[in-house]
Amino acid sequence: MNLTVNGKPASIAEENPVPVSQLLELLRVEQREYVTVELNGDILDRGDFDGATVKDGDNVEFLYFMGGGR
Amino acid sequence: METIDLRGVSCPTNFVKAKLELEDIEAGTTVEFLLDDGEPVKNVPRSLKDEGHKLLGLKEVDGYYVLTLEKVEE
Amino acid sequence: MKLSEEQITRYSRHILLKEVGGKGQKKLLEGRVLIIGAGGLGSPIALYLAAAGVGTIGIADADEVDLSNLQRQVIHTTPDVGKAKVLSAKETMLAINPELTVNTYETWVSAENIAGMIADYDFIIDGTDNFAAKFLINDACVLAGKPYSHGGILQFDGQTMTIKPGESPCYRCIFPEPPPKDVIPTCSRAGVIGVLPGVLGTLQATEAIKYLLGAGDLLTGRLLTYNALRMRFREIPVKKSAKCPICGDHPTITELKDELEAMTVCDLGH
Repeated sequence: MNLTVNGKPASIAEENPVPVSQLLELLRVEQREYVTVELNGDILDRGDFDGATVKDGDNVEFLYFMGGGR
Repeated sequence: METIDLRGVSCPTNFVKAKLELEDIEAGTTVEFLLDDGEPVKNVPRSLKDEGHKLLGLKEVDGYYVLTLEKVEE
Repeated sequence: MKLSEEQITRYSRHILLKEVGGKGQKKLLEGRVLIIGAGGLGSPIALYLAAAGVGTIGIADADEVDLSNLQRQVIHTTPDVGKAKVLSAKETMLAINPELTVNTYETWVSAENIAGMIADYDFIIDGTDNFAAKFLINDACVLAGKPYSHGGILQFDGQTMTIKPGESPCYRCIFPEPPPKDVIPTCSRAGVIGVLPGVLGTLQATEAIKYLLGAGDLLTGRLLTYNALRMRFREIPVKKSAKCPICGDHPTITELKDELEAMTVCDLGH
């Protein structure tokens, strides 16, 4: 399926909808314990990563905590 | 009619002061600005026109210039 | 309030702008902005707000200037090492612009003091370096209805968003709670390229100035992210979340609380 990930086109070798948790593995997303996922404009609960699925044409953003400033 | 004397004031302070004076008067009011020859008269009238004000006249008097304009609200 | 000759000259480059003019400069002079944190982000924010003529600037930080700060906290200089950061910052701000009022708060923000601190200001800026403070600032501003700028940096990355409580998404709409406490960061997470807070902090100061002027479009409903290595800015649209614990439909957070921080590694973030 074709997705937009962090503003860029990406494709994964799955046709059927894939749980977000699996997507994180397939894309080898860094710092999975910190990452926040926005799917089609909605922020997902961390608890929903197994339940929510991505399908062809979806828009995914990976957002990270940035705690520094001093 | 109010006359604002900007002679002896260099660019861009003369334009800044003209802007500030115009902020405080009502739209439709006619004012006169006195400007030095050289950069001031070359820059200020057209810059004020660019801000949307209506230039009514520019005449030379004794080596300096008198700019007459009508304030137009943005 | 008529501008003096000195003010006309000092702020001439502002007054020339259609979006500012004498009227706008007066708004800045009457404006009140609180900067929480006098370090990496706080430095450019304080410098530029002072230069812009924001009439009352508050700055809060309990720390003293340390040698390791000077690589990025550009408001402090070598002779300032050992001095309270807020006092060092105040000196430089008043040297740039002596007509300002600078209020210093030599303290950490906490659930106990933050509401009182922000009450007197029009706009708040997060220049802090830890999650507890960032969440606290968000909560305090949302509960008080104070607009604020969130900012965070990490190594070569930065992000910022402006929050208008009730109108636009808040920090918890994106990050409902602090990161998991059982993850211990490694030492390299304490590193930051010195120039980074300069870019982010100046963006935050820009938002404060635009807010006071009522000009332009604020960075609300969008998270601006920056990566210095790739030299890319991105904008991620963010919605106000109905599930947000503080500004959503059924808020679970109704009062301020200090979030206890995870164990830090080699004074990470300080």
